[in-house]
Amino acid sequence: MTGTLKGLLPIAIGIAILFVFQAVGGPSMFGAYQEDALLVIGINIVLGLSLNIVNGFTGQFSIGHAGFMALGAYAGGAITYYGAIKLWGSYPPELPPGTGDLLFVVALVCAGLVAAGAGYLVGLPSLRLRGDYLAIVTLGFAEIIRIIITQTEPVLSKQEVSQHSTLSLFKYLGGKSIFDRIPRVTNFFWVYSVVLIVIVVCYRLKQSTHGRAMLSVRENEIAAEAMGVHTTRFKVRAFVMAAFFAGVAGGLYAMKLGNLDANRFDFQRSFESIVMVVLGGMGSISGVCLAAVLVTYAPYLLRDVGLDQYRMVIYSLSLVVLMVVRPQGLFGMHEAWTVFAGEAGRRRWQSFIGTPKRWYLGVRAYARKVVGT
Amino acid sequence: MSALLEVAPMSLSFGGLKAVCDFSLELAKGELVGLIGPNGAGKTTIFNLLTGVYTPDVGSVTLAGKLLNHPERGLRPFEIAAAGMARTFQNIRLFADLSVLDNVRIATHLRARSTFWGALLKTTAARKEESRQRSHAMELLDIFGLAGRADEVARFLPYGDQRRLEIARALATDPKVLLLDEPAAGMNPQEKIALKGLIQLVRERFGLTVLLIEHDMGLVMDICERIVVIDHGVVIARGKPSEIQVDAKVIEAYLGAAPDAAGEAGAGEAGAGEAATDSGAKA
Repeated sequence: MTGTLKGLLPIAIGIAILFVFQAVGGPSMFGAYQEDALLVIGINIVLGLSLNIVNGFTGQFSIGHAGFMALGAYAGGAITYYGAIKLWGSYPPELPPGTGDLLFVVALVCAGLVAAGAGYLVGLPSLRLRGDYLAIVTLGFAEIIRIIITQTEPVLSKQEVSQHSTLSLFKYLGGKSIFDRIPRVTNFFWVYSVVLIVIVVCYRLKQSTHGRAMLSVRENEIAAEAMGVHTTRFKVRAFVMAAFFAGVAGGLYAMKLGNLDANRFDFQRSFESIVMVVLGGMGSISGVCLAAVLVTYAPYLLRDVGLDQYRMVIYSLSLVVLMVVRPQGLFGMHEAWTVFAGEAGRRRWQSFIGTPKRWYLGVRAYARKVVGT
Repeated sequence: MSALLEVAPMSLSFGGLKAVCDFSLELAKGELVGLIGPNGAGKTTIFNLLTGVYTPDVGSVTLAGKLLNHPERGLRPFEIAAAGMARTFQNIRLFADLSVLDNVRIATHLRARSTFWGALLKTTAARKEESRQRSHAMELLDIFGLAGRADEVARFLPYGDQRRLEIARALATDPKVLLLDEPAAGMNPQEKIALKGLIQLVRERFGLTVLLIEHDMGLVMDICERIVVIDHGVVIARGKPSEIQVDAKVIEAYLGAAPDAAGEAGAGEAGAGEAATDSGAKA
C-alpha cells in the first residue's frame, strides 16, 4: 500500500505544482496568444503519446486516431453541456466555482471510457490483420465515426433540453452544423495535469515487464509468442489505452474550443499524430513530446515571422528533409537522455555534430535518386 | 521412468504435401536427443508442431501429463511456452532493436507476478518484479558470457553471440524441455566446441531435457544420447549415435543409394555443408 502511495507521489506533486501555478495566474503571463499555443501543444502531446502506445510500442500501424479523439470530444462536450443544464439548469460560467470543474473531470473520464470502448472494438481486428490491412481498418473506423456524428440532430438549446430524456440527448450532437456553446473549462492546469499523467504512465509502462512485452510484439511477433508473451492481449491493451488517452485529449479539445465540427476530425487530424510519432521516433516518449511541440508550435512561429502563407510548404519540406536525414525519427527508439549517455552516446553525439555533412550527402543522394542520374 | 515429453504418432499435411507423417517421440527427463535429416525433411516443422505454431492433423503432444497440442484443441504458442517448452529459431529471431538484457527479460515475463495496473502505479510488487527479472536475466547472461554486453543492441552482436543469446532467452522462460533449432549454424569450430560445453552445462544446471536439430554431425554424434533421423517427414531410424552412423537407410538418405565404407565420413561432411545452405534457404 505504501508502495502504491509512493508510486502516486510524483503525479500528486506535479499536479499540486500545476495547481498553484494556475491559481497564482502563472499561465496568463505568457499572454493569451502563447497560452493558447501551450494548450494546443499539451493536447497534441497527449494525442501523440497515446498513438505512440499502439504505433510505437506494439508496432501496429493505426491511422485512425482522429476517430477516438472525435468520440472523446463529442462525449466530453455533450456531458458538460447537457450535464450542466440537466443538473443545474445552467452551465459552468454561471455556476458557483468548483462545480463546473467536477463535471469537467467526470466528462473527461467518460470521454476516455467511450473512446476506450471503441478502441477495444478496433483492437479486435488487429489480432488478425497486420500492416496495411490494419491501417485501412483503422482509417475506415475513423471515417465511420465522423460520418455517424454528421448524421446527428442539431444541438438543443437550454429550454429544449428539459423536453428530452437524458439518454436521447446523445442524438443531438450538432450533425453537419457546429456543436457550439460547450463550456470552455479547459485551462493550463487541466491540460498539463493530463500531460503529466500520460507521460508518467507511458514511461512506467515502457520501463516495466508489460511494456517490454508490448515492445516484443513490435520487434518479432513469432518470437514474442514463442517466449510466452500473450501477443493478442497486449495488442488489444495497447489499443484500449491509446484510445482512452485520445478520448481524454478529445474532451480537452472540445472544452478548450467551445465548439465542435465533425469535419475537423478527418484523416488530416489522424495524420498529424502519426507525424509526431514517426518524427519523434517509434516508441520514444521524449521524442514524441518534442515532435509534438515542434509540429504544433511551428505554425505559430511562422505566423509570428510573417511566413504564414508558406506554412504548408515549409512544413512539408522540413518533414521530407528530416525523414531523409533521420528516417528513424529524432531519437530513434531511445529516450532523449539515453541517446547521448555512455560510450555509445558519445559516438552518437559525434555523429550528430558531423551531421551538416551527412545532411548534405543525404539530401544529395535523395536528389539524385529523384532526378534519376 | 515415464516420459516427460510424449508425442503420439503425429501427422501434418500442407495441401497434398505430407510434411510430417506418423512422427512419434518419447523424451525422458534429462535426455539429450538429436533430430537430424536432410534439408526439407520436416525437422523444423516438427518443432513448430511441438510449440503450437501448427496444429497436427492427427496425433498429440503431451508434456508432463499436460496435453499441449492436439487436432481439436491446440494450445497457443505462448501457453505452450508457459507449460515449459522453449525453443530457439533456425533463422535467428531476436528482438533485434532491443538490448541484450531486454531480450532475456522479455522471456521472463510469462513468470511475472506483478499486474499491469501495478506497473503503472509502480507498486512494491512491481518494483520487486523488475529487480527479480533483472537479476535473473543477468544471471543467465553471465552463464552465456554475455553479461558484459547486456546494454548493447541485439542486432549488433556477432553472429555466434546472437545464437547464444537466443538460447539464453529460451532458458529465461524457465523451461522443462528446450528445443534447439540448429544452434551451431554459422559458428566457427571454436565456437562450436564452446557451444557443446555450454549445452551440457545448462542441461545439468537446469535439469533440462533437450531436443536438438543440428546439421553438424560431429556435434550431434558427440553430445546426443539418442538420435532420431527423419527424411521426407518419416522417421527412418532411431538409436544411439554409433548405430545411426552405420545405418544403411540414413546413409542412403544423405548420400543416395549404394552405401560403401566411406559413407560414414561422407555423411558428416554432407551435413556440415548443408548447414549453411539450409539456414540460408529457409530464412
